[in-house]
Amino acid sequence: MTADELAAAATTALGVAVTVEDAYPPLTLDVPADRWVDAARYVRAELGCDFFDWLSAYDALDEGFAVVVHSYALERHHHLALRTRIPREDPRLPTLTEVWPGANWHERETFEMFGIFFDGHPRLVPLLLPDGFVGHPLRKEFILAARVAKPWPGAKEPGESEEGGATGRRRMRPPGVPETWGPPE
Amino acid sequence: MTPPLPPRSRGVIALLEENCTVCMLCARDCPDWCIYIDSHTEVTAPTAPGARPRTRNVLDRFAIDFALCMYCGICIEVCPFDALFWSPEYEYATSDIAALTHEKEQLREWLWTVPAPPATEPNAQPPREVAAAAKAVRADYPGGFSGSS
Repeated sequence: MTADELAAAATTALGVAVTVEDAYPPLTLDVPADRWVDAARYVRAELGCDFFDWLSAYDALDEGFAVVVHSYALERHHHLALRTRIPREDPRLPTLTEVWPGANWHERETFEMFGIFFDGHPRLVPLLLPDGFVGHPLRKEFILAARVAKPWPGAKEPGESEEGGATGRRRMRPPGVPETWGPPE
Repeated sequence: MTPPLPPRSRGVIALLEENCTVCMLCARDCPDWCIYIDSHTEVTAPTAPGARPRTRNVLDRFAIDFALCMYCGICIEVCPFDALFWSPEYEYATSDIAALTHEKEQLREWLWTVPAPPATEPNAQPPREVAAAAKAVRADYPGGFSGSS
């Protein structure tokens, strides 16, 4: 089945517009969030993807969070990903544990890392983070404490021992660390 | 008891202090922020009459915190003057995390364990470093030097 045929078949089966991205493998079905569980059932029952591989999310900033689930067809040997977008303001999705029980821990991890709530999950508590941890580390707005608590060793200029010498030039910024992260000045 | 190690083993990072110009590239490119460099500027008196005094940067401290280092080797790749090398030495575990920050004296000791670069292929051009070194010798000994060709 080509990507277009798959998109047409999924659109017919689910009754909503489904797009397929095949820029790089695996084929990715983009479905609206309100058909998330239906789409997963369809993928498992009709497309043979009985093996749950993993579930996670990524922070697409203004476009909200994208939740992705990878599945695999054990008999027909093909991968398929299912993806949906949910808004930042109210990040919640119905759980997929009814479709694939293996999604349980993956949804707990996605819950703690992104703060996405999975409605109907049997035990939605943090999986890996220590008790009392505040924040969601994989959100883009999460500030990495290790990059703030310690001065950047590369801030010194050649010939300097102490950061903040007499040079009038603009200080170098550590690469990859947003300007707003610095220690309070 | 050292097992046979492949020639490009990433055991520890060694420093050849003489080659370091304190350009700070390694400390800035280190993704783990684990290279600490202190330096000061020295003015050398002009060697010839009428010449200007020269300033140069002198290395005071070069330390790598191997508790943070992830052995990516970016510092070695980025060093423009070949001051950093991979050494296969790996037996430097300690019971104190602070003792994993190794200063330039220890990084120098590891330099002696750095293996020689792999031989070039037969009939390959000699490495440019060798030609540059021979040229430097000729410049220092213009009257002739038995080792130069």
